[in-house]
Amino acid sequence: MSDPDAYIALISSLPGSERLFVAKQPPLSRLRLERRLTALTAEDARVLKALEHALNWGGYDMDVTDAQAIERCKEALQSTPQPTLRKILVERMDLRTAVAALRLRKQGGSPPSGVFGMGRWSRHIPENWGDPHFRLEGAMSWIKDAKQLLEAEDPLGLERLLLSVSHKQLKRHASRHYFDFEAVAIYVLKWNIFDRWAQSNAQDAAKRFEHLAQQAMADAADIDFEGAYA
Amino acid sequence: MNELVLTLGWLGIYAPMALGAAASAIGCSIAGMASIGAMTETEGGYGRFVGVSAFPSTMVIYGIVIMFTLNRDVTPENAGGLFGIGILSGIALMYCGIWQGRACAAAINATKEKPEVFGLSLAPAAIIEGFGVFAFVFALVISAGIS
Repeated sequence: MSDPDAYIALISSLPGSERLFVAKQPPLSRLRLERRLTALTAEDARVLKALEHALNWGGYDMDVTDAQAIERCKEALQSTPQPTLRKILVERMDLRTAVAALRLRKQGGSPPSGVFGMGRWSRHIPENWGDPHFRLEGAMSWIKDAKQLLEAEDPLGLERLLLSVSHKQLKRHASRHYFDFEAVAIYVLKWNIFDRWAQSNAQDAAKRFEHLAQQAMADAADIDFEGAYA
Repeated sequence: MNELVLTLGWLGIYAPMALGAAASAIGCSIAGMASIGAMTETEGGYGRFVGVSAFPSTMVIYGIVIMFTLNRDVTPENAGGLFGIGILSGIALMYCGIWQGRACAAAINATKEKPEVFGLSLAPAAIIEGFGVFAFVFALVISAGIS
């Protein structure tokens, strides 16, 4: 259990995490967040770095293997003494394992033997490979929606669903921490979700822009430029 | 044996003042840290933050009044009563001060996001103040029975 009053000034200096998701402009840049986080002790900063390193997809190479990702999460788990943060890490691993299993099965992959992924369901999933939702509907109510989005080839929708599930998990844990290190770590993880969310919106906007640009270029053939044939 | 009893009596007289001072110091520092943090994020209303962070300072005032009320010649007959009332009222004030500081810190953090909840967010701190007043008033009432 961390000191409950360890980071009162730091937490009070951050904009509310709910505001991150409703603001049109990001209320806190990564640079400003990093500046605020200099108030963390060396030990807490190390734990937070390990946590972000394991949970933030931005920190992974494109060609990372399952074994490397699992190893990174195991290292983060070992270096995180706070029970709440360990629970968050395990819950996120459960989510990733379930989604990875859905993707593997959709691609026609053969049922894994023994253990698949990491977390509480790593043995349960291979044992229930034939079930549409690996018999996880009770523990993971979102898995039906995730499967539908995956089958509908809607990666953006799936990304948003997973971010929303992760955000709900963090909110649940945040209700027990106000000014301690766990509260800071949960805030940073929420900020990372907000960042991914904003990026996915940017990607959406880029797609729409490309579509409109193509439409405009198609129409351009009919435009009679003044003086072009003069 | 008498010396020990008399020492406990003196301890009881000064305890409300000492523990009240500790309560106010810790409570004000907790709420003060929150107000400093909030000042870096907001554009105004700094005076309100500083005012709220001074709320727990009342605990030391209650402690001083209890100390003066208990202050008398310590005898083996009244030392036990002085010790009991002084120590227990001091502990009550200390808890009230620390937790009031945390309640004020939460109020400041909430007000930073939604200035319109300023008054309502202070309700928990005001309720804790009420408990401190209970400890204060009944310490005075009960001390009247000590010779």
